[in-house]
Amino acid sequence: MGMKVNHEKQVAAANDVITALDAEFSGEGLSCELRMHAGGKQQRSYVYLECPPSIWLIVAETLSEVHGVDYCSMITGIHWPEKAPEMEWQIVVHLMRMGIQNPPSSEGIVIPIISDASILQGSDMPLEFEISIPISETRTPTVPSVQHIWVGADWNEKETWDLVGIDFEGHKEMRRVLQPHETPAGFHPLQKQHKLRYHEFNEMYDDAQGFMRKSEDIGKVK
Amino acid sequence: MAEMWISMGPQHPMTHGLWTLKVKIDGETIVDTIPDLGYIHRGVEKICESRDFTQITPYCDRLCYASANTWSHSYIYAAENLLEVEVPERAEYIRLIAVEIQRIASHLMWLGAYCPDIGNLTAFVYCLREREMMLDLLQELGGSRMHYNFPRIGGVKRDLPHGFAMRCRAKVKLFLERIHEYEALLDESTIFLIRTQGVGYAKPEEMVNHGVTGPNLRAGGVNYDVRWAHPYSVYDELDWTPSVERSSVKGADCYDRYRVRLDEMKTSAELILQALDRIPGGAETYHEPGDPALVAKAPSRATDGQTGFHHFEDPRGESMFYIVGGGDERGKNPYRVSIRSPMFITIPYAAKCMIGYKIADVPAIMGSFDPCIGETDR
Repeated sequence: MGMKVNHEKQVAAANDVITALDAEFSGEGLSCELRMHAGGKQQRSYVYLECPPSIWLIVAETLSEVHGVDYCSMITGIHWPEKAPEMEWQIVVHLMRMGIQNPPSSEGIVIPIISDASILQGSDMPLEFEISIPISETRTPTVPSVQHIWVGADWNEKETWDLVGIDFEGHKEMRRVLQPHETPAGFHPLQKQHKLRYHEFNEMYDDAQGFMRKSEDIGKVK
Repeated sequence: MAEMWISMGPQHPMTHGLWTLKVKIDGETIVDTIPDLGYIHRGVEKICESRDFTQITPYCDRLCYASANTWSHSYIYAAENLLEVEVPERAEYIRLIAVEIQRIASHLMWLGAYCPDIGNLTAFVYCLREREMMLDLLQELGGSRMHYNFPRIGGVKRDLPHGFAMRCRAKVKLFLERIHEYEALLDESTIFLIRTQGVGYAKPEEMVNHGVTGPNLRAGGVNYDVRWAHPYSVYDELDWTPSVERSSVKGADCYDRYRVRLDEMKTSAELILQALDRIPGGAETYHEPGDPALVAKAPSRATDGQTGFHHFEDPRGESMFYIVGGGDERGKNPYRVSIRSPMFITIPYAAKCMIGYKIADVPAIMGSFDPCIGETDR
C-alpha cells in the first residue's frame, strides 16, 4: 500500500487553498504563501498565512467551513519587546486539514476508513497551515478567540494567556491552567522582562544540599 | 438527588500522575467535570530559552516519563527544520528503530498501568516483563534505561552496537508471540470486558474537533496517522499500515482504545524488523560515534526570524515543537520554544467524555486515554 502522500498533488492542493484565500482576503491585508519544510529527508509543503488580528475570526471561519480545516494543532504566543512598534506580540497558530469523517456503519459495527495516501488529492489531501498574527505595541494584547470553531483551541488559548499574557476575546472560562490559581494578576512568565540566567555548573553544585546555609535567626536563638 | 462535587486527585490511583479531576455527581452519575492541571509545571519552555540547541535535548527527554525517546526525537526534528539540516539515511533508520521500540515500551507501560485500574493486576506483571526487554534494547542504544538523550541534531549519538540486530530481532519476535498472552489474559477476562466495553464512547469527528489524535482517534475507525499524512523519517520506505479499530456506531469505547494499542504494538514490532533488514550499510556494520554516516554537520546558531516546527506521531497523539531562532548568545539559544503536548489537549476531552457515566467508570475512561502528566504540565 502506498504509504506516502504524493508531493505534487499536495502542492497543487495547497495552491488551490492559497488562490481561494488570496481572492477573498488579499484586499484586507491577508498574505498567503506556499512554504517548504527545510531539513529532514522529506519534501513537505505547508501553507503560511500572515493575518491581521482584525480579520482573523473570519479567516478562521472560512478555513474551517470552506477549506475543511478540521483540526487546531497549536496556538502559541510570542513576546517581542525589541520589535516593539509594529509587532510587540505575535500569535502563531498551527492548523491541519485531516479530512476526518465518522466512518460508515453496517449492523452496528463501523467499517473503518482506510485511505490510501498515494491516491489522495484535492480537498482530501492532508495539509499543514501556519498562521502568524502580529499585534502592535500595547499593554493589553488581544485577538479573537476561535474556541467555538475548534474546541481543541480552548486549552491552547488558556495556556497562551496563562504563560504569555495574550488575551482571547470571546473566550469562555479563561483561567490559569499551568500556573497556580493564586498567581498574581498580570504575571505571565514567558514575557521577556522575566529573565532566566544560565547557572554555571560550580554555581549549581556548590553546596547543593544546603549544609552550609545559615538560618536567618542564627545567633538570636539560644 | 442532591448533587455534590468530588475531588479526585492530586493523589488518587486514577490520575496516573499529579492532577485533580473535580467530578460533580448526581447520585452515582457524573453530571459535570473540571480538570485541574499544573501540579508539576516546570517551565520547560522558559528554561529552553537560556539553553543552546544541544542542551535542550535532555530536557525534552524529561517531558514524559513513559516515552522519553519520542519526545527528544520530536524536538530534534523541529530543530533540524529550523537549522536546515539534512540527516544521513542510516541515522534516520536508527532513529526509527529507537522510536518504535520506545512506542512499544510506552504502550506496555500504559497497559500495565491500566489493567490494575480496572481489576486485573496480573496483566501488569506480564507487561512489565516485556517492557524490560524493550528497555534493555534502548539501554544498548542510548546507555540508560529511562532518559536516553539519544538523537543529535543531524543524526544519532551512536551506531547500533555489535550484535544489536540479532538481539533486537530475537526479542521483538519473542514479543510478537507474547502479545497473544495478553489477548488471552484480557480478551477472555469477564471483568476486563465489563469494565471497558460500552464505556466512554468517543466519535472521530468530535475527537478531531477537540484536538484528540493518535491511537485514541484511530480507535474510532479512521486511519489518520502523522507518519503517513505528513511523512518524516523513512516511514514511507517501509511497508506498513496504521492499525485501525472497528468500533461500534456510537464511537470508540475503552475496549477499542485497548485493542488499537495492542495492534499498534504489533505494527511497531514489524516496523523494527523491516528497518533492521533495510538499514543502509547493513545492521551488522559499526561506525564510530561522530561518523558522517551517523551525524551530519549542523550549524549551532539560528538567525533572527528563522522558525521551525514539526508534527510528530507520539504514542499519545500528535506532539509538536515550534522553535523561533535568534535568542541570546547571538542566536545560539532559541528565542522561544513552544511545545504541543497531546495529553494537555486530550485530558479536557476525556473529562467531557465521561459525563453521563457512573463515577466508578472514571478510572476506566481516564486510563484508556493514556494520560502522562509529565508532558501535560511541561
